[in-house]
Amino acid sequence: MLVRFWGTRGSLPVAQKADTIQAKIARALVAAGGRRFADAAEADAFARAELDFATYGAYGGATSCVEIEGADGAFVVCDMGSGLREFGIDSFRRIAAGHPPVYHLFLSHLHWDHIMGFPFFGPAFNPAATIVIHSGHADAETALRRQQEEISFPVPFEWLKAKFEFVVHRPGEVFEAAGLSVSLVAQHHSHDSYGYRFEKAGRAVIYSTDSEHKMDNMEAEVAFETFFGGADLVICDTMYSLGDTVSLKQDWGHSSNIVAVDLCHAAHARRLVLFHHEPTYADADIQRMHGETIRYEELVRADRPPLEVICAYDGLEVRV
Amino acid sequence: MDWQLETSGGSLIGRPIGKIDETTWEVFQAHLLDAVRTAASAGSALVIDLAQLDYMSSRGLRVLKIAKDEAGPNAPITLAAPNDRMRQIIEISRYDMLFKVVDDLGSAV
Repeated sequence: MLVRFWGTRGSLPVAQKADTIQAKIARALVAAGGRRFADAAEADAFARAELDFATYGAYGGATSCVEIEGADGAFVVCDMGSGLREFGIDSFRRIAAGHPPVYHLFLSHLHWDHIMGFPFFGPAFNPAATIVIHSGHADAETALRRQQEEISFPVPFEWLKAKFEFVVHRPGEVFEAAGLSVSLVAQHHSHDSYGYRFEKAGRAVIYSTDSEHKMDNMEAEVAFETFFGGADLVICDTMYSLGDTVSLKQDWGHSSNIVAVDLCHAAHARRLVLFHHEPTYADADIQRMHGETIRYEELVRADRPPLEVICAYDGLEVRV
Repeated sequence: MDWQLETSGGSLIGRPIGKIDETTWEVFQAHLLDAVRTAASAGSALVIDLAQLDYMSSRGLRVLKIAKDEAGPNAPITLAAPNDRMRQIIEISRYDMLFKVVDDLGSAV
């Protein structure tokens, strides 16, 4: 499986402003220290080798949308945040190259940042496309139809040309979708959310976002340790610090980087992806959080095998 | 994880020993909440001496916040003498924003 991140920001899309880009360029020029480059490729090689990601890259600003490539003849996507628009455009390119126009979309929940890309999802207008929307919520179809109503958007759901199918699943059941074995776990979040486990050929990917692990119900985490069990890749909501999740941002429905590490350790997972980044965080803040999470993993690893900690950004690809 | 409790300089001192993780947090919680109640009934400040604690993970840290909430705003809990590993964990978790942390037990009592 290949996991491709089209949107990694939490709650609200974030656009880089001119002064942010200018500051990155200024830092890069200072780091270059007056050296000369023969061409853009040489400058790119220098930047990749010498600059940190917050300077030479960006964590991106589209909201949650993650593609899992490797299903049998279908696109598989988790959540319809604003990153869905770019995925939809790219899927047209791949369909032109022979990929079937079949989409399996899995919804963690129905909050705006997780469905806001749907009105701009080009394949919905393709009469040859089949779009299967999987959810733990019985009201998923209502949420998508309501978002298309005239008060919010000029194109009603009825104008969409693709063949739609809405499928509601229950936590605990295991089902097949496009050649993947899939199961759900119920998560603590306003109006509920669901985490997904995707398995194929002995490999497992977990998508668990918008999931609060509350301090007054830590016994419930055993279920997540089981659900994450032995996973090759765990994509986790790590929006806040632990301190925030137990104080000011308690009951906001999100988790922390260090709870994610602890769950992965207990589950014997191999890799953790930090995901659903706080929209007020600058790239430097996210990079710092990534470094701190790597350090925390080392501090509490004990005799466990190392857990690789990856920080998601729009455009990241991880092979599983 | 082991636990010791003593009184010094008018403060109640709880001392976890070993490590606190997903296998030991419930024992730590039982001891710590007992200490919170003991300190409240005695009108004593509660200090958690971390000198003999290897580390605590998020389960232990969240137990600290449960204890802080139980103690209430008028009975602050002080964390004392963390080792280098625990000091880093406290900083990464931003618990230094929630608790008073002192380098040695003498500064807390």
